[in-house]
Amino acid sequence: MKAPTTLTIGVVAVMSASACAVDPAAAQDVIKLGLSVPLSGSAANWGKGSEFMCQKAAEEINQAGGIKASGKTYNFECITYDNKYNAAEGTKVAQTLINRDAVKFIGGALGTAPTKALQAIAERQDVLLFTVSWGKSLKGPEHPMTFTQQNTPYEILPPLIGYVVKQHSQAKTVAMLNPNDATGQETEPVAKATYEKNGIKVFASDYYERGTTEFQAIAARIASFKPEIIDVGSTPPADAGAIFKALDLMGWKGVKVNETGTGADTLKETGGDAAEGVYMGSGVVFDGDTVSAYQRKLNDEARKLLGEDLNTIQIGFYDAVYALKTAMETANSVEAKKVAETLPDITFPTFYGGKVGFFGKETYGNVQQMRLPILVTQVQKGKLVQVHRIDP
Amino acid sequence: MQTAVQLMATALQIGAVYILFSLGLTLVFGVMRIVNFVHGQVFATAALTVAYALPTIAAAGLPPLAAYCVAAPVGVIAALVLSVAIYTFGFRYFQRDEIGSFILSIGLVLVLDGVLLKVFGGAVHRVPEVITGVVSSFGATVTLQSLVLCVVALLLATGLYLMLGHTKLGKVLRAVSIDHEAAMMVGIPYGKVAFGGFLIASLLAALAGVLIAPMSIVSPVIGTDYLIKGFIVVIIGGLGSIPGAILAGLFVATVETLGAFYLDSSYATIATFALVIAVLLVRPKGFLGRG
Repeated sequence: MKAPTTLTIGVVAVMSASACAVDPAAAQDVIKLGLSVPLSGSAANWGKGSEFMCQKAAEEINQAGGIKASGKTYNFECITYDNKYNAAEGTKVAQTLINRDAVKFIGGALGTAPTKALQAIAERQDVLLFTVSWGKSLKGPEHPMTFTQQNTPYEILPPLIGYVVKQHSQAKTVAMLNPNDATGQETEPVAKATYEKNGIKVFASDYYERGTTEFQAIAARIASFKPEIIDVGSTPPADAGAIFKALDLMGWKGVKVNETGTGADTLKETGGDAAEGVYMGSGVVFDGDTVSAYQRKLNDEARKLLGEDLNTIQIGFYDAVYALKTAMETANSVEAKKVAETLPDITFPTFYGGKVGFFGKETYGNVQQMRLPILVTQVQKGKLVQVHRIDP
Repeated sequence: MQTAVQLMATALQIGAVYILFSLGLTLVFGVMRIVNFVHGQVFATAALTVAYALPTIAAAGLPPLAAYCVAAPVGVIAALVLSVAIYTFGFRYFQRDEIGSFILSIGLVLVLDGVLLKVFGGAVHRVPEVITGVVSSFGATVTLQSLVLCVVALLLATGLYLMLGHTKLGKVLRAVSIDHEAAMMVGIPYGKVAFGGFLIASLLAALAGVLIAPMSIVSPVIGTDYLIKGFIVVIIGGLGSIPGAILAGLFVATVETLGAFYLDSSYATIATFALVIAVLLVRPKGFLGRG
């Protein structure tokens, strides 16, 4: 190997000096929002849409003059990594976001298992964490830096299951299926208790492994219980569609529920006609007079990218950015701890229209759940229709 | 009775794909002594190409079956092109080097996973139903499409079995897998045979991919699930054994189906792995393994 010449050393020195001469204030003016979402597998579209919504909100805020706090103006930048919906990848994403990218604000994390991995690292380094994950264990007084940006089982399931039971009063039995991970395991007890509270007998409650591509045997087992309702819980819509299709093939005709169902398109993609009639708890309808021109415009852009309508999961990533902006400006600080202390007391503009704040003291022991409308939707004649809405 | 027939039909359908997939794995190991982890990516490439090409071709006005008949060869060709590149620039230099090929194989999996994600995106793709209709027998119902898959897969497996036993190419492949040095001494061109064996194995993976595409959820990670099951089949059947792979493919599919029905699909997965341990304790070389 040749020794470096004087000229080489000189060039390197000049380049290093130039790099150091970059205005440090300019670098500090960007607030990075880390996202840990699935960008591959059956929940990939949730992740892609979440990234899209974070970027949209950030763009809007940046173009409107940014965030003004502690005498400076900041811009948001969304940084996204694929957590593959599992804890192992979630841990890698957490390390990258917090230790390499030095992110102090997580704009959203999707999937209870990867979120738990992220939370463990974030809490140690005072990083503020927004999540759409359903796990109740993520919240509570012991997690003051964590906030939930979409409705979770405790908000969604009582109205969703209550509505379904009321509409199908002849149905008295249910069989449940959930993915065998933290999301499924934390959703199942809430759903089970809610069905039992509504007088429905739970015949079976099974789990399946994420990544499964063959659902016939699973469907055969659930159908063998002959339940009047089949609830596939927190199963992503692509898997749910395949399960309902297999059930349909076996001749099972009953009430279909997908608690995390986010839209008709993906469900129909894998389920075909079997998607008809499925009740969902995370879908949003973009037809009708109540939808604003802006909501429709953003949804049209998302449809071009994703091939399906936006849903409550993805909208959560938009709302979190506005919540952070409001909290930073209210606290007059971009220090994560101060922002976290301010969040429970603010109201901020939401994608759903109007302003919302946080609640959850009774359920979680801490104010860290966004107060969002609960939307019950159903696939009717191939389209998603909103059948019930509650504004808490 | 209805349940038994339904479960049997399900096991046959799953087993048919396992057989096709694992035949390729076992063939490559037999001929080249390579544990080919990239097999899953070849399978995924074929399935993803069909998932992408079919809707585009169908949009031009062709009925789904005709569109599939065009898309399927495209998928197979794409997978074979990838295989030729993998062999030419990779495995050719690591034949019968189990450690070297193992490391290369793992590296290629990582690279190709990234490439497939980049090219096809991470979201799942659904191939429209190609053959519509259902067949009912003894109260059980299966789609005509599944039935065709089973028949084609079993025909291919039988064809491969007959080819290996009764054709010159088959005899050459077997000779190389038994003792490649002795085969070379009698004038068998090992390099060409190894390449031929690798291509046949890749063709089987590609065919499995294009056959499963209309019946499954296709995503860039589809190969991983089948790869694990494929290895279980190969190990239980006996490394390098074609009849063993066929037998074990059906066996694993039956255990999985019965496990998912009588227990829970999570327990079915555990049961399958427990089964591998049990089989290896009793028969360390698998059902029909040599030695």
